[in-house]
Amino acid sequence: MYNYVEDGDSKTTAYVEGDQDKYEQFMARIEAGEKIEADDWMPDEYRQSLIKLISMHGISEIMGALPEKEWVPKAPTLKRKLGIMAKVQDEMGHGQLLLRVAEDLMKPYERTREDLMDDLLNGELKFHNVFHMPTKTWADAGLVGWLVDGAAIISQTNMLDASYGPYQRALQRICQEEVFHAQHGEAIIMALAEGTEHQREILQEALNRWWPALLMFFGPASKETTGSSKQDVMIKYKIRKSTNEELRQAFLDKYLPRVFSLGLTVPDKTVHYDKAEEKWIYQQPDWDEFKQIIRNKGPRSKERLRLREIAYENNRWVRQALAPETVEV
Amino acid sequence: MIESAEQAKKNSVYLNALKELLYQLADDDFIISFRGSEWLGLAPHIEEDVAFSSITQNTMGHAAMYYHLLEDLGEGEADAIAHDRKPEDRRNGIYLEKRNGEGTYLEEPYYDWALAVVRNYFYESFKKVKLEAIAESCSYKPLVQIVNKVLMEQTYHLAHWKLWVSQLQQAPKDAKERIENRVEEAWDEFGDVLQLGKYANEMVEQQLMISEDKLKEMWTKEISSVLVSYPEKPLGNKYGSGREGDHTADLDQAIKTFSEVYFSDKEAVW
Amino acid sequence: MAEERDFYQVYEVFSRRGKKAPMQHQFSLLAPNQEMALMMAQENFMRREDVIDVWVVKQSDMRKMTSEERQRWTKRLDNKQYRTTKGYGYLRQKWKEKEQGMLDEKEILSWKEVKKK
Repeated sequence: MYNYVEDGDSKTTAYVEGDQDKYEQFMARIEAGEKIEADDWMPDEYRQSLIKLISMHGISEIMGALPEKEWVPKAPTLKRKLGIMAKVQDEMGHGQLLLRVAEDLMKPYERTREDLMDDLLNGELKFHNVFHMPTKTWADAGLVGWLVDGAAIISQTNMLDASYGPYQRALQRICQEEVFHAQHGEAIIMALAEGTEHQREILQEALNRWWPALLMFFGPASKETTGSSKQDVMIKYKIRKSTNEELRQAFLDKYLPRVFSLGLTVPDKTVHYDKAEEKWIYQQPDWDEFKQIIRNKGPRSKERLRLREIAYENNRWVRQALAPETVEV
Repeated sequence: MIESAEQAKKNSVYLNALKELLYQLADDDFIISFRGSEWLGLAPHIEEDVAFSSITQNTMGHAAMYYHLLEDLGEGEADAIAHDRKPEDRRNGIYLEKRNGEGTYLEEPYYDWALAVVRNYFYESFKKVKLEAIAESCSYKPLVQIVNKVLMEQTYHLAHWKLWVSQLQQAPKDAKERIENRVEEAWDEFGDVLQLGKYANEMVEQQLMISEDKLKEMWTKEISSVLVSYPEKPLGNKYGSGREGDHTADLDQAIKTFSEVYFSDKEAVW
Repeated sequence: MAEERDFYQVYEVFSRRGKKAPMQHQFSLLAPNQEMALMMAQENFMRREDVIDVWVVKQSDMRKMTSEERQRWTKRLDNKQYRTTKGYGYLRQKWKEKEQGMLDEKEILSWKEVKKK
């Protein structure tokens, strides 16, 4: 799943004085479509933006496993139990891939996965807004798989040509698995949409609940909305191609017709496609709430962090026990 | 050799023993896989989380295959068998239903990795012995075919947990003690897993399974080569025998959880 | 007492898809030792694909090219045609004149079997 959270301006300059030649060479390389590797020279701004982006992306996968996981042991059939387990396992796996990429980037700072976990738990490392939300019924599990993963696919495929090689290669793997996730989500949704009245009801309720979070998923259209945005830097360095709003429009393009085709509605009467402007018109979600959510003040932020904290602290003895000096292999 | 469900149904003694054996195999895999699914996202590190989940999924897949064999024998739909049976009708060993630790997977999950390691190692080493016995000498062909498939991937499961138990019991004092304590606890509770239940004799007579004594002997041999220390006393059945339908409140909690959505609308297609 | 952070050792993971496929780098993972790394590798990176062999190598045991070496040592002049069949393409015409076929790559690699005598 995905992704980055935009919060707070990091005041990095592109490069330190005296590095102008290196910077120009670097920019020429990425302009030429070359891939940057972990041990290549890169501008501080590039490294730090990547660390921030990829560690948020990775930790969001790890935190993103939790809301769906709530429904893993409860899945209603053997087949669904297997499917959702495999899906949530993939989220952990994506977290693994991305954290490895971030860890290699952090090497010059002598920071490790342990530091990332600490940052998450003390609130310095944010995770994506959607994973602060509750999953109240089985329909939420389906909806997350269908639409949240759908949104994730839109933003991740947009970075499949990213200039940073290790990230690009991780995304390649991730996006391949996302195809399964999308169909896993669709299968749950389809059964509910074609099911009993109760099933259709919980599906519509779930969609109503998730709608604002889905709009928020891509971040604000411009930094004026929330006070900061990293999208320009990401585009400058060829990490992603499109703006937040372009991605959101692409998501609405692909998914709203499907939503409507299932007889579902969205909780926004103003939603329509404006043919003249060639874009979807929708009511802005509450961006102040968005800011609160990603500052770990969302509906389930505390509980999810608590789960992560317990799992981390409670298993510390295992990591201590097997740390290399002491175990003979 | 009994080739099919239809043929098995013709002999009621055979049928009852066979169904009993299948319920044991299915319920064991199902419940330990359920406990595994509660661990998802909470393992000591991410790489292990992913590997553990594969084992959990494989094991649920094995349970599903056995439930389908029961379906073929007229026991109802596989999903109904898995989700909609009362505790007293379930045949899993009691130790396998034990909660993962304090708390629940949704709140304050103080799950114990030492329990996970010891339990899964005990279980997978037992499963290997039981399945190999079936593969070698069971008279019900549809089961033998499935067991041969299961054994292919179960080898990895056993190797995985064997590695964990081996490394942790060689680790410094704290980890070593945690493992030892869980081994002692398991010793008092694992007895019924090695039992065959009320049709134990029929299972042997109908050439479905080897005897309990033989099973126990082979399992003990398996674990004694890996565990650095284990109690000298006989295995206990602290909470009774799951093979006879005895169970604990932990199973009630498990059923309530894994059947919650299923029960919310039994007529629905999910 | 061991440091918890030492638990996280980086291992590079390689695997082969089939008997004819070469070892291929897959990704890297963190594990406390070689045995654990191997035990994690397959399920972390090859859950959905065929695999017949897996290697793990501690990253610090690998001598990799540095960034500079990659840039300096991987570029060659384009004058090595004498090393490849490209430099001998004129033979095709020569053999043709002598009414013989060219023993090119396709032809030679098809010589797995010779006639049984």
